[in-house]
Amino acid sequence: MSIRKGKNYPYGIHVKDNKQLTADAPIEKITAPETVYVCMSQHIGAPAIPCVNVGDKVKKGQMVGEASGAISANVFASVSGEVIAIEDIVNGLGQKAKYVVIKNDFADEEVFFDDICDFEPSSLVERIRLAGIVGLGGAGFPTAVKLSPKNQLDALIINGAECEPYLTCDYRLMLERTEDIYKGIKYTARALKINKIIFGIEANKPLAIKAFERFSDLDIVILKKQYPMGSEKHLIYCTTGRKVPLGKMPFDVGVCVQNVKTMIACYEAIELNKPLTSTVFTVSGMAVNEPKNILAPIGTPVVDIVKHCGGTLEELEKVVAGGPMMGKALINLNHYTRKTDSGFLCLKAEEISPLNPTNCINCGTCAKNCPMRLMPMYIESFALAGDFANAEKYGAMNCLECGSCAYNCPAKRALVQSISMAKNKIKEMKKNGK
Amino acid sequence: MASNKLLKFSSSPHVKAKRTTRHIMIDVCIALLPAVIMGIVYFGWRAAALIAISVASSILSEGVYLLICKKTVKEIIHQFDFTSCVTGLLIALSIGSQTPLYVPVLASIFAIVVVKMLFGGTGKNLVNPAVTGRVFAFISFTSVMASGWLAPSISSIAGGWATSISPTTGATILTEKLSGAVTSFSIWDMLLGTGMAGCIGETCKLALIVGAIYLAVRRVINIIYPAIYIAVTGVVAVILQSVTKGQLDLYSFFPAVLSGGLFLGAFFMATDYTTSPNTTVGNIVYFALLGILTAVLRWATGIEVVSFVILLGNLLVPLIDKFIVNKPFGYVKVKKVKEKKNG
Repeated sequence: MSIRKGKNYPYGIHVKDNKQLTADAPIEKITAPETVYVCMSQHIGAPAIPCVNVGDKVKKGQMVGEASGAISANVFASVSGEVIAIEDIVNGLGQKAKYVVIKNDFADEEVFFDDICDFEPSSLVERIRLAGIVGLGGAGFPTAVKLSPKNQLDALIINGAECEPYLTCDYRLMLERTEDIYKGIKYTARALKINKIIFGIEANKPLAIKAFERFSDLDIVILKKQYPMGSEKHLIYCTTGRKVPLGKMPFDVGVCVQNVKTMIACYEAIELNKPLTSTVFTVSGMAVNEPKNILAPIGTPVVDIVKHCGGTLEELEKVVAGGPMMGKALINLNHYTRKTDSGFLCLKAEEISPLNPTNCINCGTCAKNCPMRLMPMYIESFALAGDFANAEKYGAMNCLECGSCAYNCPAKRALVQSISMAKNKIKEMKKNGK
Repeated sequence: MASNKLLKFSSSPHVKAKRTTRHIMIDVCIALLPAVIMGIVYFGWRAAALIAISVASSILSEGVYLLICKKTVKEIIHQFDFTSCVTGLLIALSIGSQTPLYVPVLASIFAIVVVKMLFGGTGKNLVNPAVTGRVFAFISFTSVMASGWLAPSISSIAGGWATSISPTTGATILTEKLSGAVTSFSIWDMLLGTGMAGCIGETCKLALIVGAIYLAVRRVINIIYPAIYIAVTGVVAVILQSVTKGQLDLYSFFPAVLSGGLFLGAFFMATDYTTSPNTTVGNIVYFALLGILTAVLRWATGIEVVSFVILLGNLLVPLIDKFIVNKPFGYVKVKKVKEKKNG
């Protein structure tokens, strides 16, 4: 057993975390909804292709969408019932995607994978690929791809930082399913053929640290409570002291970072032979009656989730999918849970500080706080002026969109918005071969 | 069910810190209050009148400018961010108490309209409005600005500030020191400003220090930067004095830092966000440069140069910001392939 303090990283911010709303609420299983809307595009990469037809009877755990390409993931039915539609739906994020709509027959019939017989690394990776597991921290990058690096890695880093305010689902899982996470970690380490396992937990979760103390082969690193500690690059730096060079990936410095939730999914896929059909997330915010941590089938309508949490108050101003720093606002509640969801926040006006932006006063707070050490004010002004070449020169493409700059901006500039606009434009320019 | 209600939609982050530009400017005003109070205590109703007129004309000129720009009164009040209030205060605090009342009015109008609003308002100005306003007044009204310094004394304060200040005029200690006539001022006198002639707000250094500590505690400014400015000024002054006299003159450190407008300039004018660099390294370079320039130019010209130096420094800021940029996390230096030239 080893517990040590993480390396100090001086750039980042302190955010009021509001985790007390749900930190002590045990994970509750939601009653299965009447209808689930399973999205075919729940991950980075090519969308899955529906492999069922309208009218088909499906069982829980049956594949409904097949991965199409190297970077893609399978999608499974999260309830048993009948496929009543396969259609394009504009979800609450304003994205149009293909959905398989399944009417629940409440028979709860379930299908499983066959038992794994040899537990060789390659068969473990194959199972993780088959089960459609993606990075559940939010990015949604297919885990199997991450577990088959070109070079031999020497450390597996488990991300238990959960630095986003409000969110407590990872924390609850670490308390309630400690054993499962540990088993998932062991399988993942085996798949990567490495022995060194580092577990990074933020210092504000003493109970979680305590829960994992008993596993002698984990190198537990207590991280300073700081945002964005859960960012891959910063987690790697604070736990191992390695800096991921710009434009490079974690495997270039010999590590692989996995989220605790992904570890549970791996455990379920390998030991329980279950594909990824449900997610755990936090429903919180001042505008929801009963903030809770919830386990729900993938594809559950957000309306049902909100209803399960006692509905919302009149003062509801904004609904955010994900954490308040990096999550996306919903246009309306016609949204359905996806693999990568970590929270749904119903926020009041007093929480979101809806002030209009004023002139930048050049105070340099954004540059001081930026965890990537960029100059957000220059990127913003170049982006707004349409000079994307200069925006790129100042490092627009290295931005994590963590929101540290905009959080503390006294002029309330929409820095992240401008920078992500610049990123899209730069990508477009590169695509057009300019 | 809230399903039909229109939700707010915006880019992340969805939570933000409470502090706004207005909060910061109100903090600066609060930090200037000790200096304002001490100025009124030392120099009486005239100081109060100058401060009030200066602040009022600053705020009014901003308001009138915006009215001409066809903004409604409601909009003007809504977007009022107290920057003009700070400008007005700083102009008043950096002039002598016997200055005619029209001087701060003209300086304020120049500072707000020409320096700030014509460039696009708060945050868009190239140089600090207050400093420029002061320099404008100095150059335009040389005779009235250079004479009429009042020296407050302990006895005059004890005897009731409103009635018994005798208008003894004199050069500031800085001028005396620079002309070689420096005499017996104790460090304590210099800190409190008792018996020293000076501007309304620059005389009592202790009040300025209290204000600066408030700003540092509220995290409006980083106290290290002005400290660098003051320390560098002192050290360079000591070196210059020692070289001139041919012997080590450590005592000249104190008159150099505790006289003239250095404290007001370092804590409140040079730290202005808009006209100081955006990076930590840039700021250190900027403030050290100001310190060197202040000491050297004082020594060379024999007049108080802090506001001129800050003005000059402001113009160098874009240059500093162009060349000193943070290195991104994980930055790898691109190795330049040296091409062998065949002679």
